[in-house]
Amino acid sequence: MKNKRFNLLLIAVVTLVAAWSLWPTWRDYSLSNQLNSIKSAPDSLKYLLSNRDEIENARKKSLKLGLDLKGGMHLVMEVDQVDLFEQKAWNKDAKFTAIMKAVREKASQSDAKVIDLISAEFKGENMRLSRYFYDIRNSDQEIVAKLEKESEDALNRAKEIIRNRIDQYGVAEPVITTQGSRKLIIELPGVSDENRVRNLLKGTAKLEFRLLRDPEILVRTLDRINTYLVQNSGVPKTSLVAGNSVAVSGKLKSLTPSVSMQTSAKPLYDLIGVFQNGSAYTTEHSKELVVSLLHRSDILALLPQDTELLLAAKPEIGKSGEKLYPIYLVRKSPELTGGVITEAKATFGSQGVQPEVLMAMNSEGTAKWARITGANIGKRIAIVLDGAVYSAPVVQSKIPSGNSVINGIESLEEAKDLEIVLKAGALPAPVRIIEERSVGPSLGADYIRAGVLSLAWAFCAVSIFMLVYYKKAGIAADIALVLNIVIVLSVLAGFNASLSLPGIAGIVLTIGMAVDANVLIYERIREELDGGKALKSAIELGYDRAFSSILDSHVTTLSAAFLLYTYGIGPIQGFALTLMIGTAASLFTSIVVTKEIFSFLLGRNLMTQKSFG
Amino acid sequence: MRIFHKTSFDFIRFRKIAYVFSLVILASGLISLAVKGLNYGIDFRGGSEVLIRFEKNIDVSTVRTVLDAAGVSGSLKQYGLDRSFLFSTVFNGQTSDLKSLVSHALNDRLKGNHHEIVRVDAVGPSIASDLKWSALKALLASLLAILLYVGFRFELKFATAGVIAIFHDILTVLGLFSILGGLFDFMPLEMDQSIIAAFLTIAGYSITDTVVVYDRIRERIRGQKQSDYERIFNESMNQTLSRTIITSGTVLLSVLVLFIFAGPAIRGFAFAVFIGILIGTYSSIFVAAPLVYDWLRLAKSPVHLRGSKVS
Repeated sequence: MKNKRFNLLLIAVVTLVAAWSLWPTWRDYSLSNQLNSIKSAPDSLKYLLSNRDEIENARKKSLKLGLDLKGGMHLVMEVDQVDLFEQKAWNKDAKFTAIMKAVREKASQSDAKVIDLISAEFKGENMRLSRYFYDIRNSDQEIVAKLEKESEDALNRAKEIIRNRIDQYGVAEPVITTQGSRKLIIELPGVSDENRVRNLLKGTAKLEFRLLRDPEILVRTLDRINTYLVQNSGVPKTSLVAGNSVAVSGKLKSLTPSVSMQTSAKPLYDLIGVFQNGSAYTTEHSKELVVSLLHRSDILALLPQDTELLLAAKPEIGKSGEKLYPIYLVRKSPELTGGVITEAKATFGSQGVQPEVLMAMNSEGTAKWARITGANIGKRIAIVLDGAVYSAPVVQSKIPSGNSVINGIESLEEAKDLEIVLKAGALPAPVRIIEERSVGPSLGADYIRAGVLSLAWAFCAVSIFMLVYYKKAGIAADIALVLNIVIVLSVLAGFNASLSLPGIAGIVLTIGMAVDANVLIYERIREELDGGKALKSAIELGYDRAFSSILDSHVTTLSAAFLLYTYGIGPIQGFALTLMIGTAASLFTSIVVTKEIFSFLLGRNLMTQKSFG
Repeated sequence: MRIFHKTSFDFIRFRKIAYVFSLVILASGLISLAVKGLNYGIDFRGGSEVLIRFEKNIDVSTVRTVLDAAGVSGSLKQYGLDRSFLFSTVFNGQTSDLKSLVSHALNDRLKGNHHEIVRVDAVGPSIASDLKWSALKALLASLLAILLYVGFRFELKFATAGVIAIFHDILTVLGLFSILGGLFDFMPLEMDQSIIAAFLTIAGYSITDTVVVYDRIRERIRGQKQSDYERIFNESMNQTLSRTIITSGTVLLSVLVLFIFAGPAIRGFAFAVFIGILIGTYSSIFVAAPLVYDWLRLAKSPVHLRGSKVS
């Protein structure tokens, strides 16, 4: 008797907790229904304001829909560890560059840890890591451990910075998690402007102030490159490559200049123009070529010491309307970096048309900035963001206030994004998008419809089958089934997990599997009844003897679902989760709940031999 | 209502025919796997996919011509049955470029028929190999877990035969995916993450029916002579036949609903689970139990089963 009371209490508690956990979902649904039924805008605003707390509260605690149902973006980004480790190295020479190049190639093919690849590569060359990393006295293991720590820190920092950017951009309920040693998973529900978000996330936001070299040096350098190219006759004719479908057809590979060579008296000047005042530029369609040319190691060797050729971020419009990208020769080592920036603000410039970003520096930066500007009056300082020159103003006077400006920005929107990334700070290393899945809201609505339809049909089909096949006993199984579905949904809502389309598939599958326990029990009861047992003892025996097969089958299904949850990624986890909850819950609903129903019915003499069909 | 009530099929006598049947099915699947291989989905192959939906009916070849003419290289397939097309191409980080390229091409040349890009998936090669590995790990780990659990609950021979039956079921489905892959517009039958989920579901569930039969054999075999084994196996299977079929039946019913209503994204999964459970029911009667029978017969040693109840 005591046991029975305990079971009843347990059922009551489970039902109440499930109802309590699903209550906000119901409120959220009915509140938004009411809101939708109000036609006029002022009325709906009034309703919204007067019920604001309740609406927000309900929404926060209600059952979340997955990205696929709601629409949104799922991104996996990878922190470029090779770049990170390169930053950490010193004494870099050609050998080091070659090794890192090999490592980069291997890293892109496999999922092995970059640090392992590096140490393997160094072992192969019979070199010690301490030649380039940290202290010469460190052993390889110490260095590996240190670098591992570095990359872990870098991943966490990248996560925080990206979270900052997303928060400032304003996405409701973003989820950002790290996976392994170099991956970030970012879930952004309801994002409409994917393009902008993508740009916002992937930029490193490495801001540098670099001194420009004199125009004469630029001209001389370009001449030297040209002469070199003539001697090696190695530049392709520009017209060969019209790079408009580059992104898709993978023609990018054929862009490497060595592929097609054309002898020309002035190969470089086919691509680059030089103005009278000594500034150089390239046109839009030869930009790709120039960039790849400038990255060639033999070209890099021709540059003066500690300099770099950089392109402008945005084109200037030439006389005949063509887009021209200025080319700058800048010092390689920056005078000042973005770390000193404390505040950034997007605004319109003095003429009120050109958007720009105003920046303020901390005290250390201010002091340095004053010294740098004071020492370089009349010279130009390039403001470089992620390797592209935004502007290169001439220093008019010493700037003691620590203020600076980025201009050369196309739209206010872009200025605002710059403001966000500058405030959030630079990423420790470049990040790449390696997986992206986005679902539009219309497809999400389709998925919801399909999911609800499947749930309804599966429930109807299975519950009607149970009624037809097992008569009265089928009712008990069906009640248990309803409770099972409620439990699955309430656990999802209670633990703030979200429901996705695969999750719904998991519930549908659970519907079919949950009644299995009842089938096993009922078949056993039928068997005992056929053997001449009395109804009451047949039921007892049925539950007793079917239990071992039920347990076995549940344990195997649960363990498979659990492993799927552990090793699975993204959408598959949603499926595994609902299957797991549903299977576990069915142990309770199909056994405990139905048994209580039978003992209730038996107590009232509402069951006969015929009740099991 | 009762189906399969008091049957008396001689399953053990027909087991050799069943073995041959299973071997033929497995062999044809394996041959197809070796010759034709599998259609890997974007999860395992890496690449970019864009799902385009049009407002009005349009022919797949028209869309293909338009995209070809615009210089967007990739392959285009009908997706599901409603004016949707799946365009797939190589992976590169610039999905926005791909999207605008496709969008511009279709807007320019198919003005009267508005389209919408409803889904974009891009999976880089490193992620793809990652997914492949974790899928394989999950599958092997679950088989091991089942082997250990059933071994612990029954006996090693029972467990091994059960796991062989699971292998049988999964390989049959895999073979079927290879044979039928790409034949139907409404389900491309590509290997992707959801199919791995299907395999694990099959693995977890296939053993359910087997355990029901095992459980009955265990209940009855204790203290019996070796010569009675054939009769005990047959009777056990007949006694549990009804529940074996009804339990699978309810799951098949809900998977069928998924197949019909849940849309093309789930269809491959539903197909795999449906076939898997069908085969799983067959294999628990015709593969798992007979294998144990043959093993016991050849080993000629009495079984030591754990957990059998004497009441």
